[in-house]
Amino acid sequence: MSERGTVLIGRSDRAALALAAATAFAPPQALGHAALIEAEATTAISLRAHYDTGEPMAEAQVVVYAPDDPARAWARGVTDGDGRFVFAPDLGAPGRWTVQVRQAGHGAVAHVDIGEAEAATGREPLAVASVGAGGAPGILTQAVMVALVAWGALGTALYFRRGRRDDASA
Amino acid sequence: MIRPPAIAALLALGPMAGHADTLTLFATGEDLATEGFSAPRLTRDGWALAFTRVIATFDDVTAWRADPPFAGDGPDIAGRPLEIGGPFIVNLVDADEDDRVALATTPAEAGFYNALSWSLAPAPDGDFAGYSLVFEGVATRDGVEVPFTLATRDAVAHACGEYVGDERKGFVTADAGGELEITLHLDHLFGRADRPADGAMNREALGFDAFAEGGLQEFSLSGLHVGHVGEGHCFDRAL
Repeated sequence: MSERGTVLIGRSDRAALALAAATAFAPPQALGHAALIEAEATTAISLRAHYDTGEPMAEAQVVVYAPDDPARAWARGVTDGDGRFVFAPDLGAPGRWTVQVRQAGHGAVAHVDIGEAEAATGREPLAVASVGAGGAPGILTQAVMVALVAWGALGTALYFRRGRRDDASA
Repeated sequence: MIRPPAIAALLALGPMAGHADTLTLFATGEDLATEGFSAPRLTRDGWALAFTRVIATFDDVTAWRADPPFAGDGPDIAGRPLEIGGPFIVNLVDADEDDRVALATTPAEAGFYNALSWSLAPAPDGDFAGYSLVFEGVATRDGVEVPFTLATRDAVAHACGEYVGDERKGFVTADAGGELEITLHLDHLFGRADRPADGAMNREALGFDAFAEGGLQEFSLSGLHVGHVGEGHCFDRAL
């Protein structure tokens, strides 16, 4: 797993794996429903950290603070080789979002104000883009998604097949 | 008019440190002051430095609640000021377990103190009256030991943005006091052998070779940008 977007992409992969494991060991006749995934585009904040020489702050520590709890870290991560970092703020928390980037005794701070207009949708981000992946889910996540849909379809088919056999024996 | 050092006031206010509706100011030279420069963190020119004292004098300290936030990109901070004062004469070697020395605890309104202005200023009195920053210790390289006292009379004003570090600092609430920190990056002065030799810090740093004769020698802080707030940036200018 890449260090880029470690916090956020790691969360979506682990959740998918946990769900796959749960369904893989469940008896087929217990699965009566297809697996569905809903995704939507959301607002993301992209930043690039660099020194005043222009050199990127590559692999630098990132801490994000949300306006509704500014003293506590909302998310942590690492910039990529170009000093870039992307995160999707909670649009239900309008106000000043702050990002601190630190490396080898040097630090920088950036602020992004999320207004009431952006927050009015009330949508929470379901997916977070990793720099370089362009917002698409990683290969592992895609594979798990396909497997979940296939397993759900198989379970549904087995359920209805069992139902016809019971009718025939009656 | 020379104001008396605020050490006595600090002692009187000591029990208030950390209480609600207060702001406590710390200063640190980090572990480079308390532990010195030792391998692999030698000076850029290969000296180990063990400090007996690092005497710094801070003055005209003001904490600010700035909105919009101050970026540390100019000499003037706009916002609501909280005067902390000075002068404070401290030994950065004689620090707590976090390598910090408490300068003052001041009653403060609740809020986020996200900017700090302060000066390194010549001490009004004491062992090193007239000097703003003094290093006393022993340098060692290739088995040769050099006792030294390095001192500067430079007065430097700093306008700093938000503290940057492991935790976000400067929050004063009804339940808890806040903290701010002046951080002196001593590697900007002496450089570091474990950092790229052609990096900006090492190119600008003085190192120790220039002082290898030992004894009392003066130096200049010009262009070294020693003052920070954690890893946060300060705009500095000579006074």
